[in-house]
Amino acid sequence: MNKKRKMIFSLVRGLTAILIALLVAALLIFVSANGDGIAEKLSQTGGAMKKLLLGPLLKNKGGISVKNISDVFAAMIPIIFTGLGTCVMFSANQFNLGTEGGVMLGAFVAALVAIYCPLPPVVLPVVAILLGAIAVGITMLIPAVLKARLGVSEMVNSLMLNYVIMYFIKYLLNSHLADKSKGQIMTYEIQPHAALPQLINNGSKLSWGFVVALIFVVLVALFMYRTRWGYAIRMIGINKDFAMYSGMKVGAIIILSQVIGGLLAGMGGGIEMLGRYNTFNWTGLPGYGWTGITVAILAGNNPLFVPLAAFFMSYLNKGCSLMSTYCGVPAQLIDILQAVIFVFFAAEQFLSGYRQKLVVKSTQEELSRIAEQEAAASKVEVK
Amino acid sequence: MAEEYAVQMKGITKVYPNGIAANQNVDFFVKKGEIHALMGENGAGKSTLVKMLFGLEQPTSGEIIVNGKKLNLSSPNVAIANGIGMVHQHFMLVPSLTVAENMVLGMVPKKSGLFIDRKKAVEITEEFSKKFNLPVDPNAKVMDIPVGMKQKVEILKALVRGAKILILDEPTAVLTTQETAELFKELINLKNQGYTIIFISHKLNEIMQITDRMTILRSGHSMGVYNTSDVTPEKISRLMVGRDVVLKVQKERAKPGEEVLRVRDLEYVNEWGKKMLDKVSFSVRRGEILGIAGVESNGQKELVDMLFNLNTPNAGTVTVNGESILGLSQRKIRSKGVSLVPEDRMLYGIAGAASIQENLISDRCGDKKLNKGLLFDMKKIREEADQLIDEYTVLCKSQNQRVDNLSGGNIQKVVVAREFSNNPSLIIADQPTRGIDVGAEEFIHNKLVELSRSGIAVLLVSADLNEVMELSDSLIVMYGGRICAYFEDTSELNDEIMGEYMLGLKEQSPEQIRRVCHE
Repeated sequence: MNKKRKMIFSLVRGLTAILIALLVAALLIFVSANGDGIAEKLSQTGGAMKKLLLGPLLKNKGGISVKNISDVFAAMIPIIFTGLGTCVMFSANQFNLGTEGGVMLGAFVAALVAIYCPLPPVVLPVVAILLGAIAVGITMLIPAVLKARLGVSEMVNSLMLNYVIMYFIKYLLNSHLADKSKGQIMTYEIQPHAALPQLINNGSKLSWGFVVALIFVVLVALFMYRTRWGYAIRMIGINKDFAMYSGMKVGAIIILSQVIGGLLAGMGGGIEMLGRYNTFNWTGLPGYGWTGITVAILAGNNPLFVPLAAFFMSYLNKGCSLMSTYCGVPAQLIDILQAVIFVFFAAEQFLSGYRQKLVVKSTQEELSRIAEQEAAASKVEVK
Repeated sequence: MAEEYAVQMKGITKVYPNGIAANQNVDFFVKKGEIHALMGENGAGKSTLVKMLFGLEQPTSGEIIVNGKKLNLSSPNVAIANGIGMVHQHFMLVPSLTVAENMVLGMVPKKSGLFIDRKKAVEITEEFSKKFNLPVDPNAKVMDIPVGMKQKVEILKALVRGAKILILDEPTAVLTTQETAELFKELINLKNQGYTIIFISHKLNEIMQITDRMTILRSGHSMGVYNTSDVTPEKISRLMVGRDVVLKVQKERAKPGEEVLRVRDLEYVNEWGKKMLDKVSFSVRRGEILGIAGVESNGQKELVDMLFNLNTPNAGTVTVNGESILGLSQRKIRSKGVSLVPEDRMLYGIAGAASIQENLISDRCGDKKLNKGLLFDMKKIREEADQLIDEYTVLCKSQNQRVDNLSGGNIQKVVVAREFSNNPSLIIADQPTRGIDVGAEEFIHNKLVELSRSGIAVLLVSADLNEVMELSDSLIVMYGGRICAYFEDTSELNDEIMGEYMLGLKEQSPEQIRRVCHE
């Protein structure tokens, strides 16, 4: 198939998946609407769907809402990082699910550095974020080395590791690091010069972390497609035996991919921490890791598509939360919606009949073109 | 008139999801009670055509009529119900079950409705075995029986299921000369009983020997139907490849230099306790091609695995240019100048979903000349890939094309281009031309000869007797994990002598065999 047909197919497929998901959503909203009579229920459904689709762009009373849009962008920051980390690990066929705990650990370490280290401005946030990232990178050595040396499933290991990290942080927070003067469990405040500067001061928390995230999209893409290590990661993901036979250090690369995944997740956590909060008060896993996995799969493990997928997820989230605030639709609906979209995106055979038709068309065109060329060539010979 | 035909496939076109048109408007008509050959180079579309007849693939357009009835062959079950049976190139048997159990798989005779009636299974097997004169041992486990018998089991399996039309996909690829002769006798016997046989092969002499008619395919198109008695092998070969193929390899006498590969007393016992390598010793010198002949699974695969550390021997030594390579990582083995064209090119040879370019640089991606600091030097990489594609005549649209969209022969050229171009001092070529078209085969043969004459040591492992005899300067035969013969000069050898050694009927004295160590 040529590039144009491939694009058309991807577009049609993606839009169809979204359309089906929205229809399912509309149906669910309609069923759960608490109005009397069909007409009332229908108008409720219409209102809710409008909120879901356009809410993130518009003010409540109409007109473009900069606040809502910057909220959407701000929410993209951590999931871009977890999405990138997941891309790297999944490209090597390493189903490490540890970005969830990674984000939390990265945020926690960055917060501690930002609270306690006497460093000057600019240096302090940079060091805090880097140390957070390194801490997670080192932690990821556990599932990575166990996988490379003993063949232990990194999926199970990293999944459990999330909870180990979470409870360890909760223990430290509760027993040793909490600011006892506050009514809630939280650390002392970070030094003011550790906070990341904001791009817009409208309470959205859209910090310079967004720019850093976009820079890392480019860096990770370069790493994956333009360096020998990224190349090795991708080859191992496609065919491990081939990589080994070709003389690549398979074990080392498997470890490297997971450490890089950890570094990225940790960095996302640190940036989220210093960009949005002034104290560490997370008491549970933040969910950015799970969303990052969805983002990586939607992006087809290509780092360059991660921002698009992250925008999509973030927009959907915002729409759903507005819908639940203003239209009384249960917030849980977003999970169902995401799941439906996800199922259709991930289903490889979805619309495969349509794809086959396009393939046949392309091939036939190409064959007739070749036949024409040959005919033309033989004419020339005859002359 | 239509009743005359057992199979009529009309205007068949098949386009695969990756865009390859494997068959284009092909007509394939088989008469009742004939042996009909389906011929063509690899990638010509033979397998695709019969897969559609057996219901494994569905045609994009065209119709299939069997015994005058138009069928929609949506699965092999439909094909079997309509009397079509297929013997696959790679046997579809359960190795841990007995012959009788394999025979009744999916149609198990029951005792009191619950238990497997093993006695009945054995009876069925014996009955069919006698009826069709295909002797098998019903109680032997499939993993213990020789290849020839496995094939008989496959044929019987199809017959037990009521097949009247038998499809045999390259049945002789794994057989020795003697076993092939036996198979042909059996096939003619079946034909005389009224069975229709579709015989896929690209071996000319076999086709001439037993078929009545043939359909020739070339790159997805039918080149016509011919009576075997009306055509000459030269004509078939022209129709298949569009030119006359010189099947002889031109090479000057080898002038062997110093020893490169030295294997001594290599032993290996596999995980089921079977001795796969028994005191194997030989040497390969600069500038010579040493062939290893033998029926498959007589230790050749294990031997190659040891040489490239894909498996660990129980005892013995292996050195290359005087340095031990046993147990070294593939990276270190490669750095000592060893290249391997692996037997299973889809498993080790390529990363299918990656591009041709990416497959060509896998062993040299860390080289200084392809990197600029931390980043790849994409210009140099593109040049390198272009140069290899050019030199090895890989047919492709661009180097960014996915490698698994190429035909088998071109995939092998990609593997060979990489392995031959990294300045090796030893090339191990394991089944280098298995299942690829004649053009690519010829090219690889000439390249191997050229490289060996330039002073590289070549170890050639091949189950293709013609190839190993044509190409090698000297040759060893493996049987049952041992070297059972060494021939210093291959020019006076023929199939028959080789067959006797390959089947273990004859063995040379230890002194004669020891000569291959050149001590």
